[in-house]
Amino acid sequence: MANDTWFNEDWLKLQQRYWENLADMSRKAMGLEAPRQNPWEAAMDQWWQAVSPAASDPSKQFMNRLMEQGKAYFATVERFTRGLAGADGSAGWDALNKTLDEMQRGFTDALSSGFGANPFAAGGSTGAAEDAMHRMLGFWEMPLDNWQRMMSSMTPAMPGDLLRNMPHEQVKENFDRMLSAPGLGYTREEQAQYQDLMRRGMDYQRAFQDYMGFFAKLGIKSVERLRDFVQSRASEGKPIDSARDLYDSWVSCCETVYAEDVNTPEYARIHGQLVNAQMALKNRMSVMVDETLGALNMPTRSELRTLQDRMQETRRENKRLRREIDSIRRQIAERPAASPARAAAAEAPAAPKKKAAARKKTAAKAGARAER
Amino acid sequence: MFPIDIRPDKLGEEMLDYSRKLGHGMENLINAGDIDTGVTPKDAVYHDDKLTLYRYRRPSDVAQQKVPLLVVYALVNRPYMTDIQENRSTVKGLLGTGQDVYLIDWGYPDQADRALTLDDYINGYLDGCVDHIRETHGLDKINILGICQGGSFSLMYTALHPNKVQNLVTMVTPVDFKTPDNMLSNWVQNIDVDLAVDTMGNIPGEILNWTFLSLKPFSLTGQKYVNMVDLLDDPDKVKNFLRMEKWIFDSPDQAGETFRQFIKDYYQNNAFMEGKARVGDRPVDLKQITCPVLNIYAQQDHLVPPASSKALNGMTGSEDYTELAFPGGHIGIYVSGKAQKEVTPAIGNWLNERS
Repeated sequence: MANDTWFNEDWLKLQQRYWENLADMSRKAMGLEAPRQNPWEAAMDQWWQAVSPAASDPSKQFMNRLMEQGKAYFATVERFTRGLAGADGSAGWDALNKTLDEMQRGFTDALSSGFGANPFAAGGSTGAAEDAMHRMLGFWEMPLDNWQRMMSSMTPAMPGDLLRNMPHEQVKENFDRMLSAPGLGYTREEQAQYQDLMRRGMDYQRAFQDYMGFFAKLGIKSVERLRDFVQSRASEGKPIDSARDLYDSWVSCCETVYAEDVNTPEYARIHGQLVNAQMALKNRMSVMVDETLGALNMPTRSELRTLQDRMQETRRENKRLRREIDSIRRQIAERPAASPARAAAAEAPAAPKKKAAARKKTAAKAGARAER
Repeated sequence: MFPIDIRPDKLGEEMLDYSRKLGHGMENLINAGDIDTGVTPKDAVYHDDKLTLYRYRRPSDVAQQKVPLLVVYALVNRPYMTDIQENRSTVKGLLGTGQDVYLIDWGYPDQADRALTLDDYINGYLDGCVDHIRETHGLDKINILGICQGGSFSLMYTALHPNKVQNLVTMVTPVDFKTPDNMLSNWVQNIDVDLAVDTMGNIPGEILNWTFLSLKPFSLTGQKYVNMVDLLDDPDKVKNFLRMEKWIFDSPDQAGETFRQFIKDYYQNNAFMEGKARVGDRPVDLKQITCPVLNIYAQQDHLVPPASSKALNGMTGSEDYTELAFPGGHIGIYVSGKAQKEVTPAIGNWLNERS
């Protein structure tokens, strides 16, 4: 149970000792020596580097996922425990609120910077505490990360984050002016296409920034939800007493806020904008690739599609005819047995009968026309 | 009282435990080998382009029903979900109730299949399978079990060919595509489907993966893997998890024209509810469905909300309409232990009473 004794002056020392001991324990668990930095993560990384060559590709990918999520898991816990270090019972709330405020500030900074310098990225951090913060906030990047993975897999020539951090507002005005200049001379059409490509690229980047902005706002709300949640746990006298409980609570807060906000018209608009902008960009690229292929006298995607359409139409017609023939054959087979001569006589007039009727109709129509 | 009481020694234990499980679990992952799916013996009995129709081998100790059952799965993901492992197999459960089970595997469409339309799928491929089974068994009508999008297809098919369907079972099938709790529907309302299909041709499976993961991104791309570490000690559980993982990411591309039509007509224009459903040049009137209908939905379904499925009530012309609520989710309805005990026997019994 929580009591004031855990948050006294000795807590920091205890925790330092704990991290040191943990590092040793982790190394022992893995049977490896790890550098004395963020202990769990470092030990895991070193262990994984040693053993991963033995794993098959699918297993490796899967373990990578487990490792990454494990890091996010403990980064969440580490962030909280570090933030509470040295706090006593009454100061515990201050420390907790400070941690939550810092988290919210991370999202707010992301919003105000327009994601120009991705503040969630761990790459530019300077220490383990910052890494933990980045990783924890980066947890909120999972939906964005999914988008980028998907986009990269669909457009190998254009990595998912190619346009992500491109300065936007700063250059927009000049860029727009430049792009609105008409093309001139022999390459006029080509210039226009490139201008359109760049315009679409900017549209996509704008849509992606709106998308990230939406998630940053959700992040702020999620932290607020977590604040409410821990307060409710305090009121109920049910403290969070394990790393897993804390992590699950954070996931639950994020997921609840997310579910509320993505089922809104605003999100439908932002989401639609993102997908449409990406498709518009890709569409322009495809047209340009097609033109290049055409110039090289190579088959283009557009030509292939025309052929596919025609072929499908022909196949559809063939299948329909085959079914009709099968049906007619069945009908013939089901007819009562008759002498070959009668059967032949019965078969032969069948077609002309239709034609005769058709002729009659045609004649009647012609007659009717003549009467008018 | 202060709400966080994570003692350093306990936290240390948790982290150590996590590390230990990961370390030991690695051995199980390396030994997991190939992931097998689709466990019940079956034979390919009919082909049409990339489609394969399978007939499952019947257990010798179960009395066989006369009217066979055709399982129509969605184009999204792969149909082996219905037979994913020995103790979690809808197909096996159905065989156990005496059904003669056929299953359509639509295959993996490529760009050459881009021009396939709903008409090709329903009046072409699906009708071809139904005719093959009717001929094989010398019957006018067969039973159909449609799952998810396959359920929507089955509704269209039965409305267009009522003389070929004896009983219709729909599972987690969207009917009203615009219920307020339908996240997927909300997300596609502003998407320019024409632009997407004109650009991509077929819609890549990656887009579908992204979409489905986005329904619960923190649970499905994060927490799930943290929880997984607890299972790593058990080789069987590791295999089961990997099997599900394989299924989740085994997403065929969607034939462009079919995707265009399905999303525009159903998700954006709610064709069943608005009475504007069409396949090819024929209108789809659900009132033409007069055979018995069993409509099964999952109460915690985040892909096809219960209200979306329950909208079928009163929409058909059937005088024998039954609803069955399953206390679980969209996937649990095939693979959970509870589903094996409740859903599959219920389908079998319902069919047996009417075949």
